[in-house]
Amino acid sequence: MEPTAESKFSDVDEYGFKRGEKFDYKDYGKFMDSYLKTLTRRRIKWESIIRENPELILNTKLKRYIRKGIPGPYRTDVWMKISGAEAAQKKNPNLYRSLLNIDHFIKEISDSISIDLPRTFPDNIHFDSKKERLFNILCAYAHHNRDVGYCQGLNYIAGLLLIVTDDEEKSFWLLKHIVENIVPQYHSHNMASLLRDLAVFRELVIKRVPAVNRRVEDLGLPYAVIASKWFICIFAEVLPVETVLRIWDCVFAEGYKIVFRAALALFITHKNLILECEDIAALANLFRDTMIQGSIVTDCHSFIDSMFSIRLKRSELESLRKVAVLNEHMSNK
Amino acid sequence: MGAREDEYDYLFKVVLIGDSGVGKSNLLSRFTRNEFNLESKSTIGVEFATRSIEVDGKTIKAQIWDTAGQERYRAITSAYYRGAVGALLVYDIAKHLTYENVERWLRELRDHADQNIVIMLVGNKSDLRHLRSVPTDEAKLFAERNGLSFIETSALDSTNVETAFQNILTEIYRIVSQKQIRDPPEGDVIRPSNVEPIDVKPTVTADVRKQCCQ
Repeated sequence: MEPTAESKFSDVDEYGFKRGEKFDYKDYGKFMDSYLKTLTRRRIKWESIIRENPELILNTKLKRYIRKGIPGPYRTDVWMKISGAEAAQKKNPNLYRSLLNIDHFIKEISDSISIDLPRTFPDNIHFDSKKERLFNILCAYAHHNRDVGYCQGLNYIAGLLLIVTDDEEKSFWLLKHIVENIVPQYHSHNMASLLRDLAVFRELVIKRVPAVNRRVEDLGLPYAVIASKWFICIFAEVLPVETVLRIWDCVFAEGYKIVFRAALALFITHKNLILECEDIAALANLFRDTMIQGSIVTDCHSFIDSMFSIRLKRSELESLRKVAVLNEHMSNK
Repeated sequence: MGAREDEYDYLFKVVLIGDSGVGKSNLLSRFTRNEFNLESKSTIGVEFATRSIEVDGKTIKAQIWDTAGQERYRAITSAYYRGAVGALLVYDIAKHLTYENVERWLRELRDHADQNIVIMLVGNKSDLRHLRSVPTDEAKLFAERNGLSFIETSALDSTNVETAFQNILTEIYRIVSQKQIRDPPEGDVIRPSNVEPIDVKPTVTADVRKQCCQ
């Protein structure tokens, strides 16, 4: 659908991403009518929150506000503080600069990053001017953490961090926080924790929406195919940007549990659409095309609500993780 | 595209492998949707698309799987090779290293795929004539020595993309249909002995689907 003359919205979003061909301007218009009002209200509330709690100590009230979305202008600062990335940076203020001053980057690493640079957000009209900085962040991180090095997918995480913060060094510290504290061992050479969490996710789907799991397994689409990218990129380049940022707001405040909440919410909110799929190709298309621009995910407000209406405890995730690791060991024997 | 999506005589799973950036995803989109995206994005995880073609009056549905080229992604791709009857091993004719790594990919196939998998070596980006670093003859010779078929393609200008997929699917079809004459199927689920189940048998649609890619 093209933006029509009466459409209030351009074919590029506020972050510089070109809207997809199937983008539904009418639906989006309806959503934005109310969301814009919410955004204004929220910004006023955040002004007072920051006056009350300038160090952004994470209390119940702040957590509640974060779940409702951090206003764009505050986002970088809030992410840096609540995640602990700012504190980590203060402890090691010269780290980033010293990494950039390494005499020779390892060729294998810099080559593989270079291949992905033009392939990161080509649909973003501002991103060309950020590519050099993206290279610096990824290369510095790959040399800082040799266990991970460069993992494809980090380009999307670091790229989106750069779009939000417009600050190379802060993006580096937030990337480091995600890779090392939120989802450790997802991006390392054996991707061990990613495999474990895909198995955990499958168990959760079996428990919460068994009919959906049956459909997915009957059609024969492996969870690794459906959800690897969700977990590796923490939904960057999977869901609409605004929705990803709302998820990241919560991820920085509350940790990895949010990633499971979002993945489960995707299955639950798309339950009927999944059950309607007649073959594996239709199912794959649903996950790839509909999910990135359909109204369920574009309406980030309702989507976040549906994430938090799911019963999910850290203790449940931790015990499922233990079982997944045991199963993995057993099957390797 | 072509025959009706839900009706087919054979379902073949074909995987695209090769280094990062050689053009696997664009080969897939060129063949299944006749699209080429100059603004292509790095593939993360696994993607796939289907297209049906006709061979000898039979409808063959090709299910083509595409994955990230980076080595560590092999960790999540055990499901990737399961049931695959064909592999397009792609390199970039303008990047010699991607051709040198073909041996590594062959080892990968030997370790994880069915031993009877049909492999085609594909030199992609043949439109980059002025940047060529892998001579056609050299690659052709290498393919012959290793028992692979060989073709050069350009997903950008479409050269040989159709032919590459047609050829590999036809080759698989010939093998499968000959095998059927030799060993007629018993019941509707047939497994070759000693090897992982490999979905090359025509059977009722629903069973084919269930079997093809767990």
